[in-house]
Amino acid sequence: MPPAPAAEPTDTDDVRAAAAGDRRAFHRLYRLHVDRVYGAVYRLAGFDHARAEDLTQDAFVRAWQKLSGFRHESSFGTWLYRLAVNVALMDIRARGADPVSMMAEDDLPDRGETPFCAAEREELERAIGKLPPRARAVLVLHDIEGWRHEEIGVELGMAVGSSKAQLHRARGLLRKVLGESA
Amino acid sequence: MNEFEWLRQTRALREPASPRRDLWPAIDAALDDATSTAPVPRRSTAQRAQGWLLAASFAGLSLFAGSLAVHLRDRPLATATASAAPDLERWRPSDPRLAGAAVEFDAANMELRQAMEQAPHSPALQRLLYRMQKQQSQLRQLEHQAG
Repeated sequence: MPPAPAAEPTDTDDVRAAAAGDRRAFHRLYRLHVDRVYGAVYRLAGFDHARAEDLTQDAFVRAWQKLSGFRHESSFGTWLYRLAVNVALMDIRARGADPVSMMAEDDLPDRGETPFCAAEREELERAIGKLPPRARAVLVLHDIEGWRHEEIGVELGMAVGSSKAQLHRARGLLRKVLGESA
Repeated sequence: MNEFEWLRQTRALREPASPRRDLWPAIDAALDDATSTAPVPRRSTAQRAQGWLLAASFAGLSLFAGSLAVHLRDRPLATATASAAPDLERWRPSDPRLAGAAVEFDAANMELRQAMEQAPHSPALQRLLYRMQKQQSQLRQLEHQAG
């Protein structure tokens, strides 16, 4: 299980009320968690705002539908985060993403000089966004979200070795674009 | 840049982000469509087992009542009046779905006591008593688990 993002406010009462059909309680949960959910989905969607917004909406609707099955074994935030990631990964799968191919290097943005400084963060995001969806998903889940390869393999339906290989190639491309030797 | 440094930098991207617009109106509208399937509580394994056990209990009690009726009809009235059967503790379930089972248990318990007054050492009645106690115990346990 990936580390739970940020602090977990007490929202148990709202979760129970929403599970019983209280729309206002669910709205409060939405306000409390939307940024965290949106952040994860936005990264998995390749920093595409329009798609991330659609996926976030979908994630909250699914959460509403599944709330009665939430057993409070984890925090609601972690449960919702995981559900949203699954929605984003399902979208990747539904798009028939090639699990092994990588984009042509010509399609990547021009290389920068100093990776990861604040000014080039946007460039890094654009580079990640242009990776093939499955490779991007592996890189985002592992390098940004902090998942383990075993978890990624389960969610993406691939072997641990494939997850590692995807990550290695994705990192190599990114580093090359950003001026690092892979 | 080594892997540690790489991860330190990439993990810095792991931040909450705000959508460019308020997504709630669209979600709220979508919930109207989803509501028909939304807050319908799914039955847990214990609840499903409770349903099956309840049905099995009714079937068992019906069988018990039938066999008891045959047993009483074929036996002459005994003179013994002392109650030889241990009285099952009266069960008042908080779950209204189990009220019917409680009534059945009460009726079966009364009939069993009457039968055991006439044949206090009947192995068949002892077995019926044991089964009834076990069924009642299982239902109580499931009621407790289901909250």
